[in-house]
Amino acid sequence: MTDSAPSPLARHILSLADTKRLLGIRYSDWILGSPSIETGIAASSMAQDEWGHARLLYSMLKRLGYDPFEVEHTRPAERYYSAPALDDPFADWADFVAATVVVDGALSVALESIAGGNFPLARSRVPKMLAEEEYHHQFGAAWFQRLGGSGGEGAARVADAARAMLPSTLAWLLPGDGLYRDLVAGGSVLPLDAVRDRCEARLGPTLAAARIRLDGIEPARAGWDEERRRGPGAPAEEAVERARGDRNRDLFVE
Amino acid sequence: MIGESVYEVFARKKRGEPLRHIGYVDAPGDELARVYAWKTYDEEKWFEMCVVPRGAVIPVNRDDGPWGRSRRGEEGGG
Repeated sequence: MTDSAPSPLARHILSLADTKRLLGIRYSDWILGSPSIETGIAASSMAQDEWGHARLLYSMLKRLGYDPFEVEHTRPAERYYSAPALDDPFADWADFVAATVVVDGALSVALESIAGGNFPLARSRVPKMLAEEEYHHQFGAAWFQRLGGSGGEGAARVADAARAMLPSTLAWLLPGDGLYRDLVAGGSVLPLDAVRDRCEARLGPTLAAARIRLDGIEPARAGWDEERRRGPGAPAEEAVERARGDRNRDLFVE
Repeated sequence: MIGESVYEVFARKKRGEPLRHIGYVDAPGDELARVYAWKTYDEEKWFEMCVVPRGAVIPVNRDDGPWGRSRRGEEGGG
């Protein structure tokens, strides 16, 4: 996988898995330092959910002829297919909350899309992920509305954070390229219009607290990397070292 | 955190079992109380979990416990 372009379905699953792996790392940064003990516990649990989901998604690649171990543990940062909004650490709690709504929300929509397709492993495994994601949705919506409705600096920051993440994340969720059209034609995922509608239903009411309308956001398609299904750039090396488990590689026992 | 309330957490493992008190969470509102309770007490496989604002619990035979203190506006952990 590191040497050749993956199939459209493998690209899609790898994009979901890498985004979940990175999101779990970004969540984990706030297990200590979040606004309350309860919030830290929720961040920890959400990080575990994301890592578990990533592991399940990586394992699906075995059915498509790839070695999940190699995929998880050997790729450099520039071979990651994750959503660009996760390339850098969250600067503050507003970034965390915005990512829970925008990136985690987009991931759930993408999961709904593949669960509604014809890939058997996704049909059987993704529904449980989506059930767990419901708590992420409630967490993000409640915090976003709390900050967004505060009227102060917090409201401005969470709105700015969401606006910064949306263009690249919408492009990630709604790739207009030929490989995605192949997936739709093959029945692996839902058509773009259906995905867009689900995105509006999931993110729209929450973003309205910050007066953000999805139909006013232009997806950032400049520099689109068709193979990695994302815009330009790559996750920060430090995060990828953690994702690969470099530090404890010598202790790894298969 | 300023503006947070205490919510008592109750749960049961099987249908028909009585709800039992398993702990509490601090939360700024009902929605986050639900999430915090589920994420804090999810080591066990619960059939049902509920949260109740501590201030909504009315003590009957004594007022020196956490619920009595809560009703007097002396809310705190424990």
